[in-house]
Amino acid sequence: MIWERTAAIAANTFLEAVRQKFFNALLLLAIALVASARFFQQFDFGAGELKFIADFGFGALFVFGAVLSVFMTAQLFFNELENRTVQTLLAKPLHRIEFLVGKWLGGQLVVLVFVFVICFILAGILWWRESDLLGRLSVSEVGVRALVRYSDIFLYGFLQWVKFGVVSSITLFIASFSNTNLYTIVVAFFVLLVCQLQYIARDAYTATAEGLSRWLLTLIAWVFPNFQLFNVGERMVLLANDGLPIEVVLRITAYGVIYMVLFLALALLHFRRRQF
Amino acid sequence: MKPAALEINNLTKDFSVGLRGRKLRAVDGLDLTVGENEIFGLLGPNGSGKSTTIKILLGLLSASQGECRILGKSSQSASARLEVGYLPEAPYFYRYLTGRELVAFYATICGMRGAARKRAIEEVLDRVGIADAADRRVGTYSKGMLQRIGLAQALVHDPKFIVLDEPTAGVDPLGAAAIGEIILELKEQGKTVLVSSHLLTQLESLCDRVVILHKGRKVIEGNVDSLLLDETVEEIVVEGLKPSGRQALQAVVHEHGGHCRETSGSKRSLESIFMEAVQAPAEKEGSQT
Repeated sequence: MIWERTAAIAANTFLEAVRQKFFNALLLLAIALVASARFFQQFDFGAGELKFIADFGFGALFVFGAVLSVFMTAQLFFNELENRTVQTLLAKPLHRIEFLVGKWLGGQLVVLVFVFVICFILAGILWWRESDLLGRLSVSEVGVRALVRYSDIFLYGFLQWVKFGVVSSITLFIASFSNTNLYTIVVAFFVLLVCQLQYIARDAYTATAEGLSRWLLTLIAWVFPNFQLFNVGERMVLLANDGLPIEVVLRITAYGVIYMVLFLALALLHFRRRQF
Repeated sequence: MKPAALEINNLTKDFSVGLRGRKLRAVDGLDLTVGENEIFGLLGPNGSGKSTTIKILLGLLSASQGECRILGKSSQSASARLEVGYLPEAPYFYRYLTGRELVAFYATICGMRGAARKRAIEEVLDRVGIADAADRRVGTYSKGMLQRIGLAQALVHDPKFIVLDEPTAGVDPLGAAAIGEIILELKEQGKTVLVSSHLLTQLESLCDRVVILHKGRKVIEGNVDSLLLDETVEEIVVEGLKPSGRQALQAVVHEHGGHCRETSGSKRSLESIFMEAVQAPAEKEGSQT
């Protein structure tokens, strides 16, 4: 029963999101950027070109995926509040956790579609360039039949989806106590930046800092998830590298899931007290 | 003993206003009991605390003091709302869904499944008179149609207690009359209806009992008939009286210790003229087709 109500909210949220021009525009822009990756580089034979295309694609996936996660989550949440549809919903026998998780899941479904489409386009571009390069050089010359692990493109996409899930849950947590869409978006992007770059500060100062500073840095490292852990695309996708053991993929996934649950729980804590 | 449909005890709601958190009291020590199968009117001017009271009893706001029970259950629990249908004031729904999809969505939220859900959706769409437009997107609906689809989503799970917040606001007299008929039908089916409005004349003919709120406090509560009755005045409605007869009647009244305060021709209401003018051609068209 709980799952069915949550699924109904998620399905409705997904429907609302995919009908928005914002999602479609962002998806088209990301596709165009990934598809045109080849034209942004100096031509270079061999893995260099594929590495560039992969990096470019992963970069586009991260930037547009993060923008989508933050904007979409904030907008879908505040649409319910501003249009007062939340009042009609919560006047039904619906628990607030079902509403919150349903909104989050609906947003995650949208991001999943986005990630899959981008990975599919990226795989297509890599396959095209790989075939071209291998066609020009004989197998005996290069020594390999393939340069790209295609299944790992989607596995990497999955890891990014988990990361975006953390971004969405952080956004939902901020939205749960915020009064405006704009405030939520600004703070969520700030937190995203901290999560993306916190490893630099940690690496630079934890070894040297002492006392209170060290405690503070450790605290920040615990509170804000380290998104650098998810940046394993190059290692996973290009056959020139060793690849990523599945245990590491599972550990990264678990790391992301823990933060998702944590931030969703915090969001619920605030949302339960929210007055409409 | 069966619990009352609604029981409100010493309900108080304060809102914090401004940076200093100054208290603004929206509802002040309200006590109220609504029995089963009653149509109960929650009346009062804008800002009198009607909507705040409704939001507390639906669990959308928490009370600062006091408690509120629906059919014996605390209004803050989600299970209490299984038996509640709610039509919000100026309802806004998901514009991208069709009327049927919208009602189906709310039916799912209320825990309805399978064939029973499908049957309930069709029945309620028919009952509120929107079956013909059920496959149109809600974004294309007029104000009156929005009220009807709002009623449909409130009634689809067959609740025992129905809360209607300003159900006729912005609706033309025909639509308002149709909503009135649905409310009376609900009473016939044994439901309890709490209806809030500041349009007093519309509720006069509907409600069994009313409470009038002002500045968050209860100022009057009682049975509509007894509240409207002025025991110092009696009305005699006569027809076809000549001027001489009128004088004779006044003399008789005077002789028996009475006093004719006012004699005038009977007036019809503008609403009844409107209803007649609009409904008669519509009925004629209906009989021709």
